[in-house]
Amino acid sequence: MSKQILPVADEAQVRAYARRLTLKYPRQLGLALGLHALAAIAGLAAPRLLGELVQSVANGMSSTSVDTVVLAIAGFVVLQAVLIRFAVYASSSLGERVLAELREEFVDRVLGLPLSTVERAGSGDLITRTSRDVDALSRTVRQAVPETLIAVVSGAFVVGALVLVGPLMALPALLAVPIIWISTRWYLKRARDGYLRENAAYAEITEGLAETVDGARTVEALGLQESRHARTDTDIARSYAAERYTLSLRMIWFPTVEVGYIIPVVSTLLIGGLFLANGWVSLAQVTAATLYVQQLLDPLDRLLSWVDELQVGGASMARLLGVSNVPDDRTVGEASPDGEELVASEVRYAYREGHDVLHGIDLDVRPGERIAMVGPSGAGKSTLGRLLAGIHGPRSGSVTVGGASLVELPLDELRGHVALVTQEHHVFRGSLRDNLLIARPDATDDQVRHALDAVDWVSDMSLDTVVGSGGAAVSPAEAQQIALARLVLADPHTLVLDEATSLIDPRAARHLERSLAAVLDGRTVIAIAHRLYTAHDADRVAVVEDGQITELGSHAELIAARGPYAALWTSWQG
Amino acid sequence: MRSLPVADPGTPDARSPFRYLWWVARVQAAPLFIGIGFAILWWLGQALVPAALGKAVDALAGSDTAALTRWSAVVFALGVVQAIAGVMRHRFAVFVWLGAAYRTVQVTVRQATRLGATLPKRLSTGEVVSVGNSDIAHIGNAMDILLRGTGAVVAIATVTVILITTSLPLGLMVLIGVPLMAAAVGPLLRPLHRRQHAQRDLQGELATRASDIVAGLRVLRGIGGEQVFADRYREESQRVRRAGVRVSSVESLLEGAQVLLPGILIAGVTWLGAHFALDGQITAGQLVAFYSYAVFLIAPLRTLTEAADKLTKGHVAARRVCRVLSLTPEIFPTPTAALATPTLPTAATSTHPTAVTPTTAAPVPTLPTAVTPTTAAPIPTEATPVPTSASAGPTAALATPAPATEATAAPIPTEATPVPTSASAAPTAALATPTAATPTEATAAPIPTSASAAPMTPAAVNIETYAPGAGDLVDVASGVAVRPGRFTALATAVPEEAAAITDRLGRYAEGDVTLDGRQLSTMFLTDLRSRVLVADNAAKLFTGRLRDTLDVRGRESETAGHQGTAAGDRAGSETGETGDSETGDSETRDKRGIEEVETAIADALYAACADDIVAALPGGLDAHVAESGREFSGGQQQRLRLVRALVADPDILILVEPTSAVDAHTEARIAERLAKARAGRTTLVCTTSPLVLDHADHVLYVEDGVVRAEGTHRELLTAEPGYRSTVTRGED
Repeated sequence: MSKQILPVADEAQVRAYARRLTLKYPRQLGLALGLHALAAIAGLAAPRLLGELVQSVANGMSSTSVDTVVLAIAGFVVLQAVLIRFAVYASSSLGERVLAELREEFVDRVLGLPLSTVERAGSGDLITRTSRDVDALSRTVRQAVPETLIAVVSGAFVVGALVLVGPLMALPALLAVPIIWISTRWYLKRARDGYLRENAAYAEITEGLAETVDGARTVEALGLQESRHARTDTDIARSYAAERYTLSLRMIWFPTVEVGYIIPVVSTLLIGGLFLANGWVSLAQVTAATLYVQQLLDPLDRLLSWVDELQVGGASMARLLGVSNVPDDRTVGEASPDGEELVASEVRYAYREGHDVLHGIDLDVRPGERIAMVGPSGAGKSTLGRLLAGIHGPRSGSVTVGGASLVELPLDELRGHVALVTQEHHVFRGSLRDNLLIARPDATDDQVRHALDAVDWVSDMSLDTVVGSGGAAVSPAEAQQIALARLVLADPHTLVLDEATSLIDPRAARHLERSLAAVLDGRTVIAIAHRLYTAHDADRVAVVEDGQITELGSHAELIAARGPYAALWTSWQG
Repeated sequence: MRSLPVADPGTPDARSPFRYLWWVARVQAAPLFIGIGFAILWWLGQALVPAALGKAVDALAGSDTAALTRWSAVVFALGVVQAIAGVMRHRFAVFVWLGAAYRTVQVTVRQATRLGATLPKRLSTGEVVSVGNSDIAHIGNAMDILLRGTGAVVAIATVTVILITTSLPLGLMVLIGVPLMAAAVGPLLRPLHRRQHAQRDLQGELATRASDIVAGLRVLRGIGGEQVFADRYREESQRVRRAGVRVSSVESLLEGAQVLLPGILIAGVTWLGAHFALDGQITAGQLVAFYSYAVFLIAPLRTLTEAADKLTKGHVAARRVCRVLSLTPEIFPTPTAALATPTLPTAATSTHPTAVTPTTAAPVPTLPTAVTPTTAAPIPTEATPVPTSASAGPTAALATPAPATEATAAPIPTEATPVPTSASAAPTAALATPTAATPTEATAAPIPTSASAAPMTPAAVNIETYAPGAGDLVDVASGVAVRPGRFTALATAVPEEAAAITDRLGRYAEGDVTLDGRQLSTMFLTDLRSRVLVADNAAKLFTGRLRDTLDVRGRESETAGHQGTAAGDRAGSETGETGDSETGDSETRDKRGIEEVETAIADALYAACADDIVAALPGGLDAHVAESGREFSGGQQQRLRLVRALVADPDILILVEPTSAVDAHTEARIAERLAKARAGRTTLVCTTSPLVLDHADHVLYVEDGVVRAEGTHRELLTAEPGYRSTVTRGED
């Protein structure tokens, strides 16, 4: 069921985007990098000076020059500290700015997703991207990117300093390069998938726990204790297997790299001793080189510990960018609607190729008419509803409003004509008023209250009451009322209601539908209903079975016809 | 290293957060100690490098090739020790981290299932889920840091000894200077944490905003308002950015200070050391060593700071875990009367159910067979040793935390066992022919019959007086009686009344309710749950293979083997003729063939009109249900829940508005098929749908909390105007 519906960006796209972001603020980037470079240079003075000091001690120099050297060391430390302070501030300000831009652009992309994609896709994939991937990317941009940059900059300068001390002294350090290089490549090739699996397994544990807690009463009712425990233990076992795998990778990589760290130190000492004996280098050079090589370990270690995080960040970025790869579903045409008449002719539709769910539907909805669609589940009512609301285009045939094809209307204009409300309801975080103004931002409080009255709103909440997650509790029935009130505010001339009152108590629902009908007088309403009084109250009833309209006419006509509808009505009515 | 998860997480000590952490540490003491050993070795490897390096520099200065080679070899050897000890430490750290996290999840889940219906009343889902999201990580961190923290203390002590023996003044300077310098950054930490906290809060809100947008995307794309939400998100996002910059302004000061303070100390050490070296008090190599030590000590000191932080956070996390673990179920899971008996406490305090089983099972004559609950059931006479069976129960393996829990787990004792007072009457009822039982029951238990409810119903239309007998489930307060083998419907004037009555009937709320003429409170809750199933629309579907989601009890007997408490007990209670036939029946049932299960599922799918849902899924019954079935529509979920309830096939099935979300066509089919599917079984359906009411054997109409009228749907339509206006939905 959980399918990845949304595309993922390819590597080239991610790279291009990262490049664009990086170069978007050249001044800030230059400043941050420059400060880090200067700080790194200042940090290189101490070992060099200490080398001099050791040399002088060996040679027995005056204590005043010792004092001068130490003072210089202290001076450089202060300089380095100050530079680091500004460098870190500059780079994290830049990071925050880039991060904000990344997430804002992502949300913009989400809000621009084509209607048909939104209607079809489960929200799971998108929610994962919004939460987990945005988090992962934050970590990358806040920590991994700056740390890597700092490591590269300071590492480069340490190598530079090492070469300055004496090009010969840089050679021993090279011994470690192949060891670290090969083992890290080996590790990285396997690590990413391992960590992704690890995270997924961990998420499953959390989900399993949430499900048990959420369904605690169900667990008790059905005696599912053992099976929930078993599910938890299975999730844990899977997580443990994933952890074991990455651990086994680290069990090889860590010690190899650490040995790789120690080799340059030892070889610098030994080879340095050889060079010293031969008089090719001075004691100061060997000492400084040894300390530099040690100092090189820190940036190297930082670099290595962040590379896999960079990979994870890249993967997240690919998923965030992928959202914009969804092709637009509307090709805006020339025609503009003339009139409000909604006509479906010879409509066929298939979700899967070769499996039509609608088989040539013809329906002519007159402006101001109320049509109820009834029929068994799976008959294609909701699909037809979505087609009539212009969300999907038919495979063949056409759905037009005032002669213009619905799927060729720009989205904003379409909304002015037709709106769809389904049984799926969502209450946004924010005040009750905010929740309604979505449909019409310029509505006055009176208009908002009027819309609420139209849907039998009885709760004593004020318009300022904060609702949605974390706010005042709103029952599913009230959520449906809010959704309908939005529709009243939006006021399109045609409304498609797909079981829009299904969560409201049957007795209250009928009352609501009647007061709604009074407000919507003159509007065209297509109501997909599972309660037959909706059909009873409508102008015409369309019975949909197996993707076809099998009966069509007013309630009275259909009753008189004594067909299947009439039979159903009789038993349903009680 | 053992494999995780452990089969039995044990009984946590949830009396205080500290005790909980101590318990988590204690149960994995061995890996913890080994890990600490490696951590010490790892730190020592690092701590000794500067000394060896100093000797090597001395050798360089003295052009002593042999010494240089020797000390270089030592440096290398220390590096190798460090690498190996480091990775072993890491291995054990990961193991104890996971061990702590997994065990916490296990005990939390076990606690959640123990609390059952009580849980949502006491805690929000979020509170418990945060245990899984963050608390387990904090508890894991607290374990992990024990390894490195202990090692760091040893490393600091070792370096102290080396420094002081080399040069007292320099040693003291390093020893006093390093902690001072660590403490000096302290004042920065508080504002940093405060700002980080503010930033995290804002970020959390931003994340909620984003998921809110995604969850409501259909609404936004369908009706408009994208720009408003985009703007609002942008605004909040910029607020998070500013908070982030505020954090980094302190953070960058800290970074600077962390370079400055040790740097100054190192300069001081170098200065003093250089003068000593000039005076010949120390060698050039020792000067390098001191320099390196001052640099090195920063790391273990940071580890100690980290340890303090992680232990504090672990403590806070453990407090939340304890809060969850210390809750107790609202409905006491064992018969209230059984509490009084002295033997219960001993059984309850025992932590190892396995040890208890044989001894407690002993009083039952047929020891070998007594292990399965069903076989234990038919032994009527010796049934009196009440609490013993409580611990003997198969599910005792659950071993949930608090003392009382052993009893929860307790199973399915026979109907007879638990009730000391009415003990003599009860066994008979369990076995029994209704005729024999009814009179006894009537005298033994003070159960007002529905006749006593009659005065409350002034109209008294069609109200029969009925003495409850075997298989009757009676809610005294409302007068609702569910009779065996019948398809009863309950129509209430307001939906809340149906919920209140079914809550009492299923004992989700306490009330004066009897089953087989016995008060529900004198029964084991697990026993009751397996006989009476209340299926309402708030029930959740679970993630997993669709087949397992629907055939919940089958799956249980699969995973729990012969412990399948529910299935076994069900068999016991429903046949109830003689001991022999019961045993035989339970065996065949436990070995329910695959075809039999398939048939049961297919029948239920047909009855609930859910075939089309399965047919549309790639993989059919083997398809994976994701996100707790949230991808199914409301009507589909409702039908699947109905399938699940039918497959569970309880003695008494109580369905609350089972067709409220399906269309009229489907409702008509379900109504017809449901009655057939439950033919001969006891069923109560709460509904106001005439389609369903028309198929009921008997209909009860409740108004103001009491039964106003009963009869068939047709009878009530004519006789009771209140009923008519409640259920008819034609013209009015």
